[in-house]
Amino acid sequence: MKKRANFLFIEKNDNIYTLSMTPELQDDIGTVGFVEYINDEMLSVDDAILDLEASKTVMELASPIAGKVIARNEAALTEPSLLNSAKIEENWLLKLTDVDEAKFTELEDA
Amino acid sequence: MNQEAKLDYLIDYLWKENPTAVKQLQQIEATTLAAKVELFRGLCNIRKPESVSKEFLQVQNLFLTDWNNKRLITSIEALKAVQPQLYLWQGDITSLSVDAIVNAANSEMLGCCEPNHQCIDNLIHTRAGVQLRLACYEIIKEQGRKEAVGKAKITKAYNLPSNYVIHTVGPFIDKRGVTPIKEQLLASSYTKVLALADKFELETIAFCCISTGEFNFPNQRAAEIAIREVKKYLTKTDSKLQVIFNVFKDEDLEIYQSLLTTKE
Repeated sequence: MKKRANFLFIEKNDNIYTLSMTPELQDDIGTVGFVEYINDEMLSVDDAILDLEASKTVMELASPIAGKVIARNEAALTEPSLLNSAKIEENWLLKLTDVDEAKFTELEDA
Repeated sequence: MNQEAKLDYLIDYLWKENPTAVKQLQQIEATTLAAKVELFRGLCNIRKPESVSKEFLQVQNLFLTDWNNKRLITSIEALKAVQPQLYLWQGDITSLSVDAIVNAANSEMLGCCEPNHQCIDNLIHTRAGVQLRLACYEIIKEQGRKEAVGKAKITKAYNLPSNYVIHTVGPFIDKRGVTPIKEQLLASSYTKVLALADKFELETIAFCCISTGEFNFPNQRAAEIAIREVKKYLTKTDSKLQVIFNVFKDEDLEIYQSLLTTKE
């Protein structure tokens, strides 16, 4: 199941929720040149997750959902333009667990 | 020292500090008082955020205090609310005496570096004094990266009649036009500024028209978002902030007047 909020996709596989870039967000920000994660383990809704500098803007992205961070796309730190990729294997940001499924279900379908 | 003598001292200091400034300035000689003000402003605009002598600051502060306060200074008592807690005022935001004025910054957040550029960022930094750029520089250095769009940072206002400046970077609209993301970022600028003002327990704040100038956000849509977000925030948080929408252009005055006087 795949949802969208805060201009990110949230895709659920088993009990892991993966946040990734939407094409609208990619279009709006341009080529990403710098990524820095905010290293909080537990996230509430709208908590900042990362700062990025791209060709068209400087932006902080916020989590659309509460949960526990179990992985970050570390490859994007050394190769920020991965976040411009169309493939989720490359443009994902975070993987979360301990997400309230009801809250997830309420989000807009992608 | 009269105003002109102060300017002569300040200009001389800034030249000595930055001998290559001549390449960046169109005007390098000034004989009249008005021309000296321009030259001083241009030199301050291109000045790097480096430490400055105590004496320079003393002279600069005396000059700016006089220059700023010679104008008609407006405080909230002189204004009449158009709606509960909401005010509309046309004029130069640096002549307002309120708790905080809002600056439309860019992501470098160091103030406009283009000599004598007629943007609000330039005007606020010029009239506040060189300390403002130094304060912003410290914030950015501490943060370790550029300032994101839709956030807010607070500094003192130094020589301005207000107490604080809250800096926010609004979204930049390119040829592809306004997108939902840009609208949300503009909304975020307003709410983050208000939240910061409340955190500092301020009572009065004046917003400029964020993103509408150099950043090309369409004026009407920007005003709709501004008013909607401010009202939403005040209702949701029960904030007691008195909010002034400061407009400069007649076009914005008309837009805000129409939006604020329309019955919902």
